[in-house]
Amino acid sequence: MALLELDGLTKRYGGLTAVNGVTMRVEAGEVRAVIGPNGAGKTSLFHLITGVVPASAGDVRFEGRSLTRLSSYQRCQAGLSRTFQLTSLFPEMTARENCRLSAQARLARRWQPYGGQAVFGEASTRGDEALERLGLTAVAGRPAGLLSHGDQRLLEVAMALAQRPRVLLLDEPTQGLSVEETLTAVETLAGLFAGGRLTVLLVEHDMEVVFRLAQKITVMHRGSVIADDVPSVVKEDAAVQAAYLGGYA
Amino acid sequence: MDLLPFLLTQCLNALSQAALLFFLGVGLTLIFGIMRIVNFAHGTFYMLGAFIGYSSARVTGSFWAGLVIGPLIAGAIGAAFEMGLLRRLYRRDASAFLMVTFGLTLVLGEIIRLIWGVDALQLEVPEVFSGIVFLFDEPFPTYRLFLAGAGVVVAVGIWQFLERTRLGLLIRATSQNAEMVHALGVDVNLVRTAIFGIGCGLAALGGVLAAPLVTASLGMAGNAIIDAFVIVIIGGMGSFLGSLLAAVLVAFVQVFGTYYFPDFALAAMYMLMLLVLVIRPGGLLGKEA
Amino acid sequence: MRAVVCAAIVLAIAPFGLPLFAMTLLTEALILGLLAMSLDLMVGYTRLISFGHAAAYGLGAYTSGYLLLHTSLPLPFAVLAASALAGAVAIGVAWVCTLATGISFSMLTLAFAQLLYAVAFKWTSVTGASDGLAGIPRRAGPFGITMFQTKDGYYYLVLFCLLGAYAFCRSLVRSPFGAVLRGIRENEAKTLSLGYNTRLYKIAVVAVSFALGGLAGALYSPFAGFANTDLLFWLFSGQVLIMVIVGGQGTLHGPILGAAFFMLLEHVLSLYTESWALFFGLIFIGFVMFAPEGIWGLLTRRVRA
Repeated sequence: MALLELDGLTKRYGGLTAVNGVTMRVEAGEVRAVIGPNGAGKTSLFHLITGVVPASAGDVRFEGRSLTRLSSYQRCQAGLSRTFQLTSLFPEMTARENCRLSAQARLARRWQPYGGQAVFGEASTRGDEALERLGLTAVAGRPAGLLSHGDQRLLEVAMALAQRPRVLLLDEPTQGLSVEETLTAVETLAGLFAGGRLTVLLVEHDMEVVFRLAQKITVMHRGSVIADDVPSVVKEDAAVQAAYLGGYA
Repeated sequence: MDLLPFLLTQCLNALSQAALLFFLGVGLTLIFGIMRIVNFAHGTFYMLGAFIGYSSARVTGSFWAGLVIGPLIAGAIGAAFEMGLLRRLYRRDASAFLMVTFGLTLVLGEIIRLIWGVDALQLEVPEVFSGIVFLFDEPFPTYRLFLAGAGVVVAVGIWQFLERTRLGLLIRATSQNAEMVHALGVDVNLVRTAIFGIGCGLAALGGVLAAPLVTASLGMAGNAIIDAFVIVIIGGMGSFLGSLLAAVLVAFVQVFGTYYFPDFALAAMYMLMLLVLVIRPGGLLGKEA
Repeated sequence: MRAVVCAAIVLAIAPFGLPLFAMTLLTEALILGLLAMSLDLMVGYTRLISFGHAAAYGLGAYTSGYLLLHTSLPLPFAVLAASALAGAVAIGVAWVCTLATGISFSMLTLAFAQLLYAVAFKWTSVTGASDGLAGIPRRAGPFGITMFQTKDGYYYLVLFCLLGAYAFCRSLVRSPFGAVLRGIRENEAKTLSLGYNTRLYKIAVVAVSFALGGLAGALYSPFAGFANTDLLFWLFSGQVLIMVIVGGQGTLHGPILGAAFFMLLEHVLSLYTESWALFFGLIFIGFVMFAPEGIWGLLTRRVRA
């Protein structure tokens, strides 16, 4: 049994089918990338998995349990932590407070309406650990809104990581970064994924990033999956080249 | 009394009420849709229209002069307020507008009290429409027929204005993407000033038209702002058609509610609003929740 | 913290130095301060702009007034019962209001307050309609305690409630729960995606806010001896919001200062002019335009500079 299973997942907006019967298995410890040209339905797929929008048909199963009836916050509680394509942070809080609030969400006494030294202490430990793994310790005390764009992107990953997720969902982690920032971010992420202890699903359209980070690649085109394999095979796939890579590979 | 004539007159009654509510709601929804501003002072502009209309009619001896002068002056005050204060707040969050316009409500309300005093003032119905007509042997005031007609004319007028004129096009474009319109060399600030003035003027128009029915009084603003909010919420914030639809719905609920359940008429309006919100959190024709 | 303790001590010895009319003003200022502080939980800490907080106040005032007039409940119990009722009603109100967000939320709170206003006007047997409830007694007890019957004694009850509520709110906003509220204030969508059921948190904070606002109202009606529909009027909701903003939102003590400032200004202005609302509106506009951080913010900015 795979950790995360999508079964015929479909989303229709009126006459437009944004996601068309996507079936996919994400094994524990795997780093999988979903790629495809603009409008292929990658971000829509993310929204369906995390429950931001309801699916028209199909099912999402996590550890064999259907998530279809769960709302987005419940899916997060179940173990799916995500980042957004457009950076979404708490701009007036420091980087450390951002991670602390994120980690707090996974503690049993997260809603405790008094005191809270124990809750904050545990959350801070988890948050600081995540900051360190993404090399953000030096800027931990700064307000998130004042960090560089590159650090903001990484901070969002750190926040997701601080939740100790079962599956980490990253929506274009290098979106809007300069070439140099992208290089740094990719090396940081590669180091993070290296141990094989994380299960990662990432959406990305930068091919360099994908081939550097992913062990498995799912290619989407016009809402449907047209290829699903290891990078070396996907690279040579004729349909993929026609639909997406063009003269690239 | 037979059922059919009764229903017909009540429906006409409701339509004339809908016209007043529409004047009130459409200005608020236009301002919100285009500027993202909730104008708390909207009810006060409605009241201001009624008082200025009353005085202009007294001075000139003509209701129609009041109907023109009231909205013009109220609209000019609204436009001046936008230029002087609101314009400085565009970088702040929406609550700043809510609070500044609330401050304006206090100031304008007090100024009105200082000028016109605390007594309710009766604006006379224009001579042409002072009579009654018989519909199926039921007496019905001609002024209410006129109101229903005015509602239709103004609704069509606004719709054509938005669809056909250059300013209307700019207004729709500004609501979609203000920066792009700005980049095309249009003075967005001027468009915003115009729309705020027009919105306030429409409220004042409603105020003048309502004055012969309910008298111009200091209590007008409070009731009006609640009605306007209810219409905008039910119709969907920023939706022109939505405010039209909501005005008609609310008017029918008010008119028939007052007849059948006089004690719960007000509650019925809120129940309608809650019902709509539970089913469609963004309002009937609203885009966002 | 030291400033708070000093303020509490000054307030505690105030009855020994102030004349009777000043004590009356001060008692009312503390009651309004409690109301404004309760609204600050929503406005300043969660960015839930309520335009209907008069509903909490009126609900508390009418309930404690009714209980004191028609039952033999001792005063403190009547006050507590009224506060609990306001909190309970708020759960239903908030459940509906939180269907909407942002400005629609504000309008829904306003609509609910108006609904309550309409009910108070129509439900003559309970609310006395436009006459309101009059002759509400400050009944003695329980256990033979009679101190609440005197003006000074009642002042201490109000002070005790305000300090207790302040301590409670301060602990609340610094707790894990408070941290989530701050998240909702800054970025609600992100807070939801982190796995917090933000709607539940919002309903909870509205309930707490209403319970404390209801407490303020419940203290007001035995103090004034009456409860009428003015307490539920929409303009009053706006005035409470003014107290919060002018005092300094998101600080708890700022709104208390704001309420005192409001009381003082109204008292002084009304000595000179009937049109105090005019100046009031202008001062409020001035604060929103030029000092959004409020009186407390201005004070602390001076100190830091």
